[in-house]
Amino acid sequence: MPVDLIAQGLGYAGGAVALLGGVIGSSLGMGVACSSGVQTLAEDPKQLRNVILLSALPMTQTFYGLITLIQFILYVNAHPEIDLARGLALLALGFMVGAAEAYSAKKQGEICASGIIELPRTRGKITFNTVIMAVYVELIGILGMVFALMALSLIG
Amino acid sequence: MDPLAQGLGIAGGVIALLGGAIGASLGIGHAGSASTATLTIDPRRASSVYLLTALPMANVFFGLIVMLAFIIHTTSGEISLAKGIAMLALGAMTACAEIFSGIKMGEVCAAGIAVIPRTKGKIVLNTLIISVYVGIIGILGMVFALMAISLIP
Repeated sequence: MPVDLIAQGLGYAGGAVALLGGVIGSSLGMGVACSSGVQTLAEDPKQLRNVILLSALPMTQTFYGLITLIQFILYVNAHPEIDLARGLALLALGFMVGAAEAYSAKKQGEICASGIIELPRTRGKITFNTVIMAVYVELIGILGMVFALMALSLIG
Repeated sequence: MDPLAQGLGIAGGVIALLGGAIGASLGIGHAGSASTATLTIDPRRASSVYLLTALPMANVFFGLIVMLAFIIHTTSGEISLAKGIAMLALGAMTACAEIFSGIKMGEVCAAGIAVIPRTKGKIVLNTLIISVYVGIIGILGMVFALMAISLIP
């Protein structure tokens, strides 16, 4: 079969869009959490460890985007004969993963920021519950990645 | 040699630098606005304020590294149209990483700068640590883009 370079390019671009969503979401989420962290540390510097833990949680979405990008690149490398339909499907899946990571990380950052603000008043006891709540939102990012990889295997 | 593929690859690098420049400008602008207010209250904290205000500038250099790598990669060998499209998309990804990371790093630095007088400068180290966290996203955007172009044949 002839090689369709545009289809290949769309497949690669889909992976890049997935990572793009991850970096946007992580930046927004960590930005909100870290801004709250600075305010909290001004009030109670002993909460540094908890602030660092909670502020870092939205970073994981970037790595889910990276996993998707690597999977898409490996898929296109292994199937150089992919047609335009599959190239477009990969691009669409990349947008889906990008949106899942972006919104999941942004909202996770807001949850972490809410928890960080309460750290001085609860003397750090809110950390564990905040992590559990944040993981709930994280699940959407994980599902976005897993469902895209599942769809990739169904496309063949 | 496919001039369209080459052009797309180089454009990807330029877009990455464009993102770095936008993110750094917005971030420094945000931190700089908070700095003037803080220095009005406590002019002795100028060195700490200068340090925190300059942090988002790093994102311009991350964008520059990506642009140089993309240009070298594009001009040193023949690249296909598929790789050209991929480089354009990776450049856009890096640009977004640098823009959002730069803006948010500026906001974190501004939050720290605002409380410098109240904490008598003790917040500077913690603000540095916390803002570097957000800066990591800019570094990851650069590293992952360079890693991805090495994976694409």
